[in-house]
Amino acid sequence: MSGNHAYLSQEWMTAVIDLVKQSLTAEEMKHVSSSMVNIVENCPDGKRHYMYFRFEDGLLAEGLVGTDDDEVASKTPEFRIIGDYDTFAKISQAELGARSALMRNKIKLKGNMVKALRLSSVVDKLNKIIAQVPTDY
Amino acid sequence: MDYDYSIDHKKRLSAVQDKMQELEIPVLLGSRLRTISYVGDVFCPWRSFIIIPQTEEPIIYTFVIDAERVRDDSWLDDVRGFGPLGGGHQIDVIADAVSEYLPNSGERRVGVEHGMSCYLPEGNLTAEEFRMLKDALPGVEFVQSIDIIDELSMKKDKGTINRFRKASDIVDIGHTAVLEQFEVGMSETEIAGIAEAAMRKAGSEWSWSFTGGNEIASGYRTSYPMGACTPATRRKTASGEPLMVDLHAMFMLGLGDHSHNYLLSPVSDRQRELADYFIETITEVIHMYGPGMTPGKMADDMMDWAEAKGIAQYLVPGFEHGIGVMGDEWRIGMNTGPMTYWTDPDHVYEPDHLLICAMQFMVPEDEVGFRYEAPILITKSGCEVLAKTQLKVTEL
Repeated sequence: MSGNHAYLSQEWMTAVIDLVKQSLTAEEMKHVSSSMVNIVENCPDGKRHYMYFRFEDGLLAEGLVGTDDDEVASKTPEFRIIGDYDTFAKISQAELGARSALMRNKIKLKGNMVKALRLSSVVDKLNKIIAQVPTDY
Repeated sequence: MDYDYSIDHKKRLSAVQDKMQELEIPVLLGSRLRTISYVGDVFCPWRSFIIIPQTEEPIIYTFVIDAERVRDDSWLDDVRGFGPLGGGHQIDVIADAVSEYLPNSGERRVGVEHGMSCYLPEGNLTAEEFRMLKDALPGVEFVQSIDIIDELSMKKDKGTINRFRKASDIVDIGHTAVLEQFEVGMSETEIAGIAEAAMRKAGSEWSWSFTGGNEIASGYRTSYPMGACTPATRRKTASGEPLMVDLHAMFMLGLGDHSHNYLLSPVSDRQRELADYFIETITEVIHMYGPGMTPGKMADDMMDWAEAKGIAQYLVPGFEHGIGVMGDEWRIGMNTGPMTYWTDPDHVYEPDHLLICAMQFMVPEDEVGFRYEAPILITKSGCEVLAKTQLKVTEL
């Protein structure tokens, strides 16, 4: 066993939540209140996975993972981001910026584009923290 | 002077939606600048779309860099951006938004704006946009719908007329500035700049015309055969030449468009004779405008009149172009004429119709030309010329 968490598992999300709460202040997150779900397609297990984050005044209020059968699939966040497992895996390892992935049409955004672009820098911060979680992809 | 510029946006929208209901169109995808100006009451210089559902408030989609400004300026709250980001392509976001207003079964009809125009920024749906929309919305019937806005926007409401009135006041200020500051030897671009500065100071948002903003022609450039498009150049004005100053101002999407003509001394007898013919012709044209007149009858009657005077060869056989809020220029009337998408020569003017009375008088062999343009409001008994600059050829 590597001691790493399996990507998109409940244990992985718990570790992400802990690290985000330890590492990101409300000031760093610009006191943002918003929510997004990453819809991860073409996963190795053949299922569609979801990765949901909700921030209130810059603090992480909720983080969920799951598949079509779980609560996370029924969430109605402000932003929905759709892409392949390989792309999200690169983003979660900070090998690919979310903005760069959007510009190259590797992920698709559903939601207010103006607000999404304004929030892209705080999403980058979130992804850099996620990248620090020991993960098996 | 200020006027009442208010527009009942909701009433305007309701009229559009009533028409959509009548035509069984659940959602209208407006792509023309005139449609966005008319319904959204906002200037959208980038490629934009307005999605008008049958019962709810419209959504404007514009290039993401301008979306917040458009939201701030429009009475509509829902303004969204598109751009070159995954999921943000204009066809993706429009197809998604349109789908929300289509029934799941039965007739899935979307109104679109097809067409062609000699006015470049018209904004008709392009062939490629249409092809991609058809792919994105399988099973949808697309219905040509330009008539909805064209019909409803034909008669101008009080607020719109007052916006045109104010834009004309501003153009008059531009002409005054040119008259006061002009010196022989100035270039055409300098003259355009003098007018522009004065009109901006008076509140003009821009010299809106795609023909080069404020059009200035001097000397032989006033007399291009059939020529009615003269973006200002660096040509310097000179004594003994004609000078044409055609100014454009915009006020809350209402458009000012007025030309004034000069002869720079020494003025020859021949120049003065042609100037007199020009003024006489314009006076006759303005006298003839009123309810019941048509573009075709105006052209026939005026060319007969000019023929009798021996000056028909100096005239373009057309005496107006259409006008409405920003983006609505050129065609007069509905798309019902014998030449598809051009002015209907049998369009009958009615009170509260607006047009630009436009006349080009050119004598290339004498290197003399004059242009008249002015917004004309059709009234119950005749017409009102909104620009108040005196009708004459000014000798300087």
